[in-house]
Amino acid sequence: MLQTVPTANYLILAAVLFSIGMVGVLLRRNALVVFMCIELMLNAANLTFLAFARERGDVVGHLSAFFIIAVAAAEAAVGLAIVISVFRSRGTVNIEEIQSMKH
Amino acid sequence: MEKLQLFFQTAPVDAQVAGNALWLIIALPLLGAFVSGVFGKIIGRQNTHLVAVGAVGGSFLLSLLVFWTINDYRSMASSPFGPVTYAVGGDFGTWFQAGTFKVTFGLMADHLSGSMLLVITGVGFLIHLYSTGYMSHDAGYWRFFAYLNLFVAAMLTLVLADSLPLLFVGWEGVGMCSYLLIGFWYDDAQKAFAGRKAFITNRVGDFGFLVASFLLVLVVESITQLPVTSLNRGGADGATVAARYGQALQAKGPLATSVLEETARMMPNLLTQDIATGPLRGLSYGTALTLILLLFLLGAAGKSAQIPLYVWLPDAMAGPTPVSALIHAATMVTSGIYLFCRLSYLVVLSPTAMAVIALIGATTALVAALIAFTQTGIKKVLAYSTVSQLGFMFLGIGVGAFWAAFLHVVTHAFFKACLFLGAGSVMHGNADEEDITKLGGVRKEMPVTWATFLVATLAITGIVPLSGFFSKDAILHAAHVNGIAGFEWAGHLAYWLGVVTAAGTSFYMMRLYFLTFEGERAKDAKVPHAHESSPVMTGPLVVLAVLSVVALVHGLPIMHVQHGGHMVTQALMENFLDPVFRTTNDLIAQKNFVVLPKEHGGLLGAYVQAWLIAVAAGALAFWVYRRYLPQVKKLPQALEPLRKLSFNKFYVDELYNAVLIRPLTFVARAAHRIIDAVLIDGVMVRGTAWVTARTGAVLRYLQTGDAQMYAAVMAVALAGGLVWALMKVMP
Amino acid sequence: MNSIYDSRILNLVIFSPLLVAALVMFLPKTEKGQIRAVTLGGMLLNLLTCLWAWSRFEPKSPVEFQLEYRLSWIDDIGLSYHVGVDGLAVALVLLTGILGPLVVLSSWTFVDERVKEFHLALLVLQTAMLGAVCAVDTLLFYVFFEAMLIPMYLLIGVWGSEERQMAAMKFFLYTLVGSVLMLVALLSVYFLAAPAGLRSFDYSTLYNGLMAANRELAQYVKANPAGDGAGLSPAALALFRFGPYLFLAFALAFAIKVPMFPLHTWLPDAHVQAPVAGSMVLAGVMLKMGTYGFWRFAIPLFPVAARQFQLLLAALAVVGIVYGAFMCLAQRDIKKLIAYSSVSHLGYCMLGMVALTAEGATGSAYQMLNHGVSTGALFLLFGFLYERRHARLMSDYGGIARVMPVFTAFFVIVTFSSVAVPGTNGFVGEFLVLLGTFKSNLPTWLAVVATTAVILGAAYMLWMVQKVFFGQLTHQENLGLKDLGRREVLAAAPFLLLIVVMGLRPQPFLDVLNQSTQRYVARAQYASGETVADDAKVRVYVRSLPKEAVADARPAAPAPAPVPQPAALPARPMRLIPAQPQLQPATP
Repeated sequence: MLQTVPTANYLILAAVLFSIGMVGVLLRRNALVVFMCIELMLNAANLTFLAFARERGDVVGHLSAFFIIAVAAAEAAVGLAIVISVFRSRGTVNIEEIQSMKH
Repeated sequence: MEKLQLFFQTAPVDAQVAGNALWLIIALPLLGAFVSGVFGKIIGRQNTHLVAVGAVGGSFLLSLLVFWTINDYRSMASSPFGPVTYAVGGDFGTWFQAGTFKVTFGLMADHLSGSMLLVITGVGFLIHLYSTGYMSHDAGYWRFFAYLNLFVAAMLTLVLADSLPLLFVGWEGVGMCSYLLIGFWYDDAQKAFAGRKAFITNRVGDFGFLVASFLLVLVVESITQLPVTSLNRGGADGATVAARYGQALQAKGPLATSVLEETARMMPNLLTQDIATGPLRGLSYGTALTLILLLFLLGAAGKSAQIPLYVWLPDAMAGPTPVSALIHAATMVTSGIYLFCRLSYLVVLSPTAMAVIALIGATTALVAALIAFTQTGIKKVLAYSTVSQLGFMFLGIGVGAFWAAFLHVVTHAFFKACLFLGAGSVMHGNADEEDITKLGGVRKEMPVTWATFLVATLAITGIVPLSGFFSKDAILHAAHVNGIAGFEWAGHLAYWLGVVTAAGTSFYMMRLYFLTFEGERAKDAKVPHAHESSPVMTGPLVVLAVLSVVALVHGLPIMHVQHGGHMVTQALMENFLDPVFRTTNDLIAQKNFVVLPKEHGGLLGAYVQAWLIAVAAGALAFWVYRRYLPQVKKLPQALEPLRKLSFNKFYVDELYNAVLIRPLTFVARAAHRIIDAVLIDGVMVRGTAWVTARTGAVLRYLQTGDAQMYAAVMAVALAGGLVWALMKVMP
Repeated sequence: MNSIYDSRILNLVIFSPLLVAALVMFLPKTEKGQIRAVTLGGMLLNLLTCLWAWSRFEPKSPVEFQLEYRLSWIDDIGLSYHVGVDGLAVALVLLTGILGPLVVLSSWTFVDERVKEFHLALLVLQTAMLGAVCAVDTLLFYVFFEAMLIPMYLLIGVWGSEERQMAAMKFFLYTLVGSVLMLVALLSVYFLAAPAGLRSFDYSTLYNGLMAANRELAQYVKANPAGDGAGLSPAALALFRFGPYLFLAFALAFAIKVPMFPLHTWLPDAHVQAPVAGSMVLAGVMLKMGTYGFWRFAIPLFPVAARQFQLLLAALAVVGIVYGAFMCLAQRDIKKLIAYSSVSHLGYCMLGMVALTAEGATGSAYQMLNHGVSTGALFLLFGFLYERRHARLMSDYGGIARVMPVFTAFFVIVTFSSVAVPGTNGFVGEFLVLLGTFKSNLPTWLAVVATTAVILGAAYMLWMVQKVFFGQLTHQENLGLKDLGRREVLAAAPFLLLIVVMGLRPQPFLDVLNQSTQRYVARAQYASGETVADDAKVRVYVRSLPKEAVADARPAAPAPAPVPQPAALPARPMRLIPAQPQLQPATP
């Protein structure tokens, strides 16, 4: 009989990943790193979805995960493009210096 | 003689055929209007004349044929309540229908509308002919004849319609044409304004007409809800009456004249009963009817220039003179009287309304005559005289002498058209001079105009044996002897007002005549010598003058008929209109709201008295204007304020301006400034925008542009939400 | 009726302008003449389809929505592409179709900048308006209703006069406020009308779903007018509590569009700033969307609430009639005057509608068409003048009858139609509306007050006509004004024809409207005790969705005769993925 990992473990892992990602988003200054952290958060969500999908024996979770992966890819592409063009125009990717969208 | 009578009383065409051809009478001038208006410029002046005059002429011939047909007692129009004798009618389909309401294109010619047909097309034809001369120098001839043709078509619709909405088409149509024709010379802002004033004043009346029609519909509908037993009446079983009434409503709609006539027949038993259903419940039928008639009076006062809406008519003289003759003397302004003759069966059911009509008429007659005393414009005098004569007609309606009122419509059409055309001829020959103080001595230079004008003047003053004498005195006689139940005093008052006005009429008409035609030529005349107008203009004058005399036969008491068991002598017109007023007379006999004298005696006395009055007032005018004034040159100082008051028309225009028009305009302006601009746009709309903008201005300082800051806020909020959720879940 | 074409006409009617728009897209920007010609051709084509739909409509048929076409769209929320027309809708379709080419003709030389975009906007607007009129699905209606805003916003904001931005913004925000509320109400009705699984945005589902509750509520309110709703079934209770609010949300959205007093101030600004085409469409069709919305949605869905607010609405309508007329008397700007006269005329439409009598409703429906014709014509004609002089104040004109006789003749005839002289179209509508109001249970004095506008209407219109056309030619600039050209006469003549035809032969139009008005009155009076509650008459019968939920172009099954049962959508599970056999939970 196969020893299965309990769902709770997956969720704990996902929470840890999510928190790491969030801290990164909030604290890091390099836009690229922030991006990576966002990806991390998304993947944490994915993991949650998949964990519940396994628990429920249902494919909806898989579907959502695929959906998120697709969205994440698109977002990364657009985001990186923006970062590059920001770098070109300002010569920096430090997000503390990019504050033009304010009042 | 017998054979001749038989010949004229044998229908030349089948009644059915004539009825189905009635629309042609209207269509011909309409077509003429279209051709003149659209192609008039292309086809040229002569052809336009031909088309316009020909259209009215053709219409006149058709009218003659119809008139001849309805003289045959075998001519019958079908109505939902059985055939109507001495009438032809045709139904040309539904106009519109919604819910239980319906209007048909139904036309009917009986003796009343038949006579009007002849007056409209006959006088109309003469005036068209006259206009070809009068407007011979005007570049807008095509417009003029298009309007004039259109007017004739509208007026014919008015008299031929067999339902109130269709009548209203003509009613407003003539108002519209009048507007166009008064403002014909639109370059002059004054004239354009006069046209607008006429239309809007008429609209005030139309408001009354519309509301009255709607209330009538409500009354008719409430009758259909009555228990059938309450419709029982002598010789007719309620169930049958109700069933037939219902069928008629289905076929013709509630505002058809036949339905209204039947409604009037049901009324005597219902008058004191309260309306049980519908929006009018609680009101008695009698009260509702009085209300309706008073509203119709407002409508008629607008169209027929009675107090309080007469102010437009004198200003309407801004239009070309043939227009004044046709529209503002002979036809359109009499449509109020026509309406009341049409609805006479309703009128006699309400003594209150009758008394009001009589008093309004008499007062208008007197006031207008007083104003006419001092006017100097030749057309202005005639205009006020028209208002005054129309007042006489209303007086006749009010005292229940419908036939006399209508006879006055006919005779007035002849002599007043003649007077106006004569005035036009005088102006035409004197370089468009209107001021009678700057004319004078025209008699020798314009003999035909003079002669016809004199005849018409004598006719209007009521000199025996011209037609005006018979019609006016028939009205005064009726006012003297008829009694309106409960309002006898009103009849007497109206009579005395009428007598005074008759004297006044004679005075101001003779004044007009003396100043214009007699005496020396005024020094400040525009041209030293007048010239007589062309035959195309004098021809109609002669015809109308002859008609003003000949029409007297209608007033002669020559018909001897069996009435209520004994022989009664009736005037020709009274006898002729008898089929039209049959229901009315039945109702009078039944309800005694109008007390008719038993005897028709004492005619001669009344006639002599009226004649004396006319001659005396005429002589006074002769003395004042031919003897007294030429010597002293000036009125005594004591009379000056009176003259001023009369000359300024009792300041009624100024009063209306101050009491109605200015306040309304002020309210409109103020409402626009205050409600629209400040309250709604300022406070509500811009206020909302202002609050939004302010809020935004405050909130935008939260937007630092630091993405990490935003993310941190989100994270905190999320964490807060999470904590809250956990607290909820955990006890 | 069963022809395969009949079920497709409305698609053509709605989308043919959009197809032409696609064609216009491919034309080069500089080819202004071509763009105009193609657009005109497209509008004419559209008019043909509208005429075709009109001719295929059977006034006497008991089927409410004819020429119906239905296609599943988003099944899971019960949204379908469902179009069909009843009498009122087909009349409005015809009106819209007729206005289309005339609008293009009116701006032939007026618009010379961004010609391509202008005509694209016109075409898209046409599609949106026709779609809104034809939609039977409420969400579809909402989509088209909102879609109208965008091209109109552009028309005013881009091609308008000096203060166009402000006017466009005002117009947009005003309308949006209402429609957002309407969306909320619409969603509430969606949830109220049917239980989960049977929900649909289709008009039939919404109406039929509320019917039982409406009847129960109507009887309850009649029995105890001051009751607190105790003892009502849940659905009726929900209507009792929220019905008035939902009704007001709908009413607000449509009242802004109509516009009713006091929500009218966007209209004068929009009209004044809009180009002639914008004014024509705005007055001609878009305002009718408000009255149409009341007629189709607000009042039938909430008859009890509508009757509770009847007096208020009637009073506002009468205030609008008189107030609009008064405003006209205070104007100096001709376009503003015409705009305020619209407020007055639309007041008649509303009054006739809330009178809840057959005469009033018929008059109201007819007045919608009339107003489109006469006010559309007024804006068109004034547009010609504006193009020549670029002045809007009455004092800039005066005496121009001398130099422009044909134009004057046209304008005066249209004026008479606007003041409802009998024999023109305006009279029939006004007469019926007023008659219906007198016959209704509304206070009679209210009807009398409404009738006074007969006087005021003549006063302000003729005042304007005199100021502009009569008197001396006082301005040098006006001396050289050219009379109407051939194109302009061509654009104006159809209006004159309609004015006369609709005035003298209104019955064919009224016949088309007849069934529609009867249903409207029956629905508005549903279970009020005024009329016999006839469920079979008021229930909405529509064709059900084709069995295969595949959006292909295969001809739908021929429309069956009206089936005597409510055609609801087949029940569908709400799950996104069909339920699958559950995996066995892992057992240790």
